[in-house]
Amino acid sequence: MDVDIPEDNGQSSTHYIRRPQLVLVDDLHPFDLDGYISNYTGRTAVDRLIHIISTCPALAPEAFQLAVQSIHQSRDPSLYQQVMSAYDQVSGLADPPLPSALDLASLDTRWADETMAKNQAERSKLEVELKTYSNNMIKESIRMGHRDLGDFYRSVGEYPTALKHYTKSREFCTTSQHVLEMCLSVLELLVEQRNYSHLPTYVFKADAALDAASTAAVNAKEGDAAAPTAVPLLTKRKAISEDRERVQSKLDFATALSSLASGNYQKAAYSFLKLGPAKDFGDWMGKLIAPGDIAIYGVLCALATLPRSALKTQILENSTFGVYIEQEPYVRELVEAYLSSNFKTVLELLNRYSTRHALDIYLAHHVVELTNLIRNWAVVLYFQPFASIKLDRMSGAFGWTVEEVEEQVVALIQSGSIHGRVDSQNKILYAKQTDYRAELFARAIKAGRDIQSTNRKVLLRMRLQQAELTIKAPKGYNASIADLLQGD
Amino acid sequence: MAPDSLSLDRILNEITTTNNLGALNHTLKNGLPKESRETILSSGLASGQDPLAILDLRQNTLGVLYILSARLNAANTPVDPNLVATFCQTFLPDQARHAPERVTLLARGIVRLATQHNNLSWAVGPLYNLLARYPPDLSYLTTIHPIFLQTCLTAHQPTAALPVLRIPIAHVSTALSDLTYNDNLVYHYLGGVVLALLKKWAEAEEYFEICVTAPGAVPAALQLEALKKLRLIQLISRGEVLSLPKYAHAALSRIFKNSIYTDLINAYPQNTERLHLLLDKEKQTFSTDRNLGLVTQVIDRAPRWTLKKLTATYVTLGLGDIARAVGIQSEEDVRALILSMIETGDISAQISASGTVTFSDPPPQFTRGEVDAVLHGAQAQSEVLEMLEMEMARSKEFIGKAVKNQDSAWAPTTEEDMYGMSGAWGGDESMFG
Repeated sequence: MDVDIPEDNGQSSTHYIRRPQLVLVDDLHPFDLDGYISNYTGRTAVDRLIHIISTCPALAPEAFQLAVQSIHQSRDPSLYQQVMSAYDQVSGLADPPLPSALDLASLDTRWADETMAKNQAERSKLEVELKTYSNNMIKESIRMGHRDLGDFYRSVGEYPTALKHYTKSREFCTTSQHVLEMCLSVLELLVEQRNYSHLPTYVFKADAALDAASTAAVNAKEGDAAAPTAVPLLTKRKAISEDRERVQSKLDFATALSSLASGNYQKAAYSFLKLGPAKDFGDWMGKLIAPGDIAIYGVLCALATLPRSALKTQILENSTFGVYIEQEPYVRELVEAYLSSNFKTVLELLNRYSTRHALDIYLAHHVVELTNLIRNWAVVLYFQPFASIKLDRMSGAFGWTVEEVEEQVVALIQSGSIHGRVDSQNKILYAKQTDYRAELFARAIKAGRDIQSTNRKVLLRMRLQQAELTIKAPKGYNASIADLLQGD
Repeated sequence: MAPDSLSLDRILNEITTTNNLGALNHTLKNGLPKESRETILSSGLASGQDPLAILDLRQNTLGVLYILSARLNAANTPVDPNLVATFCQTFLPDQARHAPERVTLLARGIVRLATQHNNLSWAVGPLYNLLARYPPDLSYLTTIHPIFLQTCLTAHQPTAALPVLRIPIAHVSTALSDLTYNDNLVYHYLGGVVLALLKKWAEAEEYFEICVTAPGAVPAALQLEALKKLRLIQLISRGEVLSLPKYAHAALSRIFKNSIYTDLINAYPQNTERLHLLLDKEKQTFSTDRNLGLVTQVIDRAPRWTLKKLTATYVTLGLGDIARAVGIQSEEDVRALILSMIETGDISAQISASGTVTFSDPPPQFTRGEVDAVLHGAQAQSEVLEMLEMEMARSKEFIGKAVKNQDSAWAPTTEEDMYGMSGAWGGDESMFG
């Protein structure tokens, strides 16, 4: 049962494109469900549990129980349906069969009914309020009405309606602070919903609003400065920049997540690595994300795309990010092993924690890709100082068989990452030696010839234009062309 | 009939007596009633004599050109092929250039005559003479070019076109020949076809590219056909396609993208299975496009490109491994393939007795002569460009435009000059100091 998960993923991804891969949890791939889920509260906990249920049969029963517990603390009984269907699906695939869902835990129907009724009541209340505000045409109240409705719909899981109300509230925003608030709510909603494509738009809007808000605040203070005391001014300004940083961290996080989702790992890495301290996130921490997650995302993206020097300065010497790394000690090991070129350990760690990565809702889709990137980088880095190396030495360093090494190396050569050639008979990898002088000659002569022929063609084209022999509106094939086409 | 033949007598008289060629051309072109002009020119003399027998083929080139071209294109007027051939050999180009449209007619007439006699190959000779002698040199595009190429192709004499194709078109003059944009397209398209037929891939590529990138507001259908062939030829000679120059019409690539050829390019060369499947399925389309031959060659050469890629990755490889990678069943076939590739210089490799292939890649060598030739070429090219630039700076259009934008352009130019001056003076300041 000891299967290399990333490999497994890569091979079968053609068969199951949509469904997340089933992952194992055993001694070699440990995963502490309780510890993991205790980092999260609210809706994301349930979302994450659903993801775990549908990807990991071994943890499904336990996760199911936890999910049902969490649902009782939320306001959205419909989540139960989702949890149930995820569980049913996975129990069909599992072997041996999982215990029936109803034996594990069931929804308190009385609670469900009550919540539904409460939700219904609140909705009517909020809608009536909004209607009154609209009739009275009080902008600020209308905005708040929309905002409250948005919050409400979000808490019961009706994302499209929530989004509609949030965006509607924009029309009634009077200050940039309000716009900012709206943007942050939308961002939170989109992240929760895992709808990444719109993130950059709202980050951009929020950025603009943030600028406007801080200038406005500064201006306001300039007005206050007429007041004799200078001390409060200073503290105020500081308060504002802190405020700004807090928001900025949230925005950076949203940007990072959207880069990650679109596969732009390098940009994601830089965004993750420059995030502010955890307290900047306020209630997002836990509600959306845990500090450990940030460490993992940041480090994986960085290992996959950044050069060594950047890794050193951005991760190891970055005290803010260091705090995140403390949350997941193995991540530090990973970075240190990587920097000391101990690639075998890197790959082992990646493999060991592949379950942890695959069970994360934001990371799951990218684990395979990121692991491949890291592995390729590692091979490239390893080979760099050598002029030639025996493949079995490489296999020792990476913990692969010689065939695997050859396969990897050949793939990398063909993609142009390694400049070398493989002696397949003697299993040696040679670095390519280039005769630069000869190559320069070849290139210069080729360029000369190319330019001459291009010149000739361009000049002819110019002459044709001068003679006004340009193609006019088509008259269709005339007889002579049709004949000519037969001519070859 | 009487006045008509009388007219030809009169015309003949004029042809033989006049010294002013311009006036004669005017008379011949406009002096005769439009509807009966060709009939008059192609008729006999009142005395029943053949006017061509009286005229000197060389001295009276213009007159003979008119009569001959009229006759060749009229029904029921027998023409002696030998006479045509002699005329093409002896005519005076200066005279003929007065009537470019008659030259076009003559060229078409020659093809017509040959078709009537069911002997198209005959037309190649006279057409070549006409083509070689009419323009100042072969780098001028004329209407005869496409006609000549088409004749060569239909007469199955592609090699006959080589002397003409060897000289690329560099000059276009509508005064010399009554060209349309189609002549340019057709000539370069056919040139590509001829060269592809002779497996001169690099040259063929260039001809097709000129056709594809011909200037125009809309893409022509012929350009699309040329693009298809261009892509196939690139696959044959390079194993991959190059991107078109920027000035190619964007719509062409767009239309091309939707064709089956794009599938072919995408699957090439690794995916042999898919290639053969595509060939089986789309045989009909390829064959209506008249590209089946090329497509078959493209697919036949696929293993070569796969193998060539292997040489960049491996230093040594067993024949068996190569066979697997290339998708050929027997090792013997692979051995033959490698041998042929070594022979043609596509790869450099050694096959050992045990069946191990060792690839090497020797650095490219250039002789002094080659380098010198390239340098000379570059110098000549830059001279040409310089001349062109000066020519353009003198041209009416350029000066017209420059003057128009002058208001804004003047000030900075003078200023620059002044700065330049002051810089120059600056150096001399010490003189005064």
